[in-house]
Amino acid sequence: MTLTAPDIEKPRTETAHRPRRGMGDTARAYLLNAPAMIVIGLLVAYPIGYSFWLSLHRYNLKLPALERFVWFQNYISLIGDPAFLSSLRVTVAFVVVVLVLTVVLGTALALVLNETFLGRGVLRSLVLLPWAMPGVVNGLMWRTIFDAKTGALNGLLLQLGLIDSYQAWLTSPTGAFFITAFAQVWNTLPFTVIILLAGLSTIPSEQYDAAKVDRAGVVQRFTQVTLPWLLHPLLIVLILETMNAFRAFDTIYVLTGGGPGDATNVIAVLNVRTVLTYTDFGLGSAYSWVITIVTLVISIGYISTLYQRGRIEV
Amino acid sequence: MTRKVVLYALAIGFALYLVVPFYWIVNMSFMHEVDAASVPPHFLPNNPTLANYLGFVNPSTKQALVGSNAVGDTPYALVNSMVVALSTALVNLVLGTFAAYSFSRIRFRGSQVLLIVYLLTRMVPGIAIIIPFYLVMRTLDLLDTYGALILSYTTFALPITIWILKDYFRTVPRELEDAARVDRCGWFSMMWKVFLPISAPGLVAAAIFSFMTAWNEFMFALFMTSSISSKTIPVIAANFATDVETQVTLMAAAGVLAVVPPLVLVLICQRLIVQGMAAGSVKG
Repeated sequence: MTLTAPDIEKPRTETAHRPRRGMGDTARAYLLNAPAMIVIGLLVAYPIGYSFWLSLHRYNLKLPALERFVWFQNYISLIGDPAFLSSLRVTVAFVVVVLVLTVVLGTALALVLNETFLGRGVLRSLVLLPWAMPGVVNGLMWRTIFDAKTGALNGLLLQLGLIDSYQAWLTSPTGAFFITAFAQVWNTLPFTVIILLAGLSTIPSEQYDAAKVDRAGVVQRFTQVTLPWLLHPLLIVLILETMNAFRAFDTIYVLTGGGPGDATNVIAVLNVRTVLTYTDFGLGSAYSWVITIVTLVISIGYISTLYQRGRIEV
Repeated sequence: MTRKVVLYALAIGFALYLVVPFYWIVNMSFMHEVDAASVPPHFLPNNPTLANYLGFVNPSTKQALVGSNAVGDTPYALVNSMVVALSTALVNLVLGTFAAYSFSRIRFRGSQVLLIVYLLTRMVPGIAIIIPFYLVMRTLDLLDTYGALILSYTTFALPITIWILKDYFRTVPRELEDAARVDRCGWFSMMWKVFLPISAPGLVAAAIFSFMTAWNEFMFALFMTSSISSKTIPVIAANFATDVETQVTLMAAAGVLAVVPPLVLVLICQRLIVQGMAAGSVKG
């Protein structure tokens, strides 16, 4: 993993008594890196270039005769492409809702786990449960819960007298949208909690003692002491979860398949459908490149911010 | 006093939030289909049955019709997932160890750039490389084999593996290596006998990350596999969900089976994961 620990031990330069091996350190290091570089180069760098090349083509497996180089036509067509524009709107709304829920719930859960209480160890183990769940199973799980005929939510609400009859939660566009966002949050919350908890554990206890002497209340202690220390981990969470939510696929694919209508048709789902169902590799590659550029801009911004502030240890 | 009450209320609330959804599919997986559809629902199986789980081994005629053979395919998919995830973890550890060792012990030109480049490749969304990946695998005749999946998952997990391992390796005292060298131990035998055993927590944490990446991945598996010779459990589980005639109890059982291996792994290795990660990784 990544990100900081400014005081971690720097690798020392070669010690004097080490026998020389007739090969420079740099050469030796690159030799050790060669297998990883070859694998990543062949399986990531090359496909990315190839994908860009494909995005400049009209290329549909079903229409091989029409294949040709079309410059940026696929990208230009995105401007007036209603499917693309609608999925872009859905994706942005999805990212915003997921981020807000993740930050609020994640911070609350991390703060709870940072206190001492009976059963803290159990709760810390329970946090790992959603983390171990494949996105597809997460989708399955929420389907059984929100099911219109057999769902647990319907049964519970009916028994509590909150609804008069079973509701088809997933067939209303608004319902489906918020349910997919909620399901996504449930699945990715543990990672957020782990990062925030690590951040909380670095706060020196003297800070709280001082706040206590000043008779600061709970709210003041949170805003004056905890929050400033949490800003950096929160930044990490925001960026990672933005990228995660932007490319969310498996939970949504299983839970709603992008429906009803286009209500949950985020860009990754649209992209997969364009490629798998319509076998339109040219347009599909253009969609992919839009996702790539957005996530790369976000991550480069993020890494350089951390790097400049000396908060990244490499 | 009120503080304690609020704390416990929140803790219990979160515990329910984390457990109840999962409890519901476990509950459903032990029900008869009739009970699962009853109104009001049973929050405990009133007449528990293993029929859903036994169906995966020996499906009834009705069960066999669900999800385009998904029921009969489930055991094979679990085996496929296990082979793919374990191989991915192993390949990652080997490649990752070489690279991470160089970052932890050698100061060389371009090391920082190289580390950032590794990290950036992880930021590339899978969808961006899936089409060329598919075409390359088709050319190499690797579609619908373990190879295509192991290769793709290795590229996903390798950057993270390298970052976890380099942080952990830096905590291994250099004196141990020097001692091994004085004993005229070669680099490989020093690594095998001294360095790697000490790095066990870091190696376990990295292995679990790669295992989970491979076990959970769905999009590439959907593209690269076409038959049960390589379909993984998420692909089969999705068949249950997308099938019109699906049986909700069977679907729940398949879901539970798909969660158990990673969950057991995470719970057993909980301490090692924390230890391995704490070496430098996510300190805020």
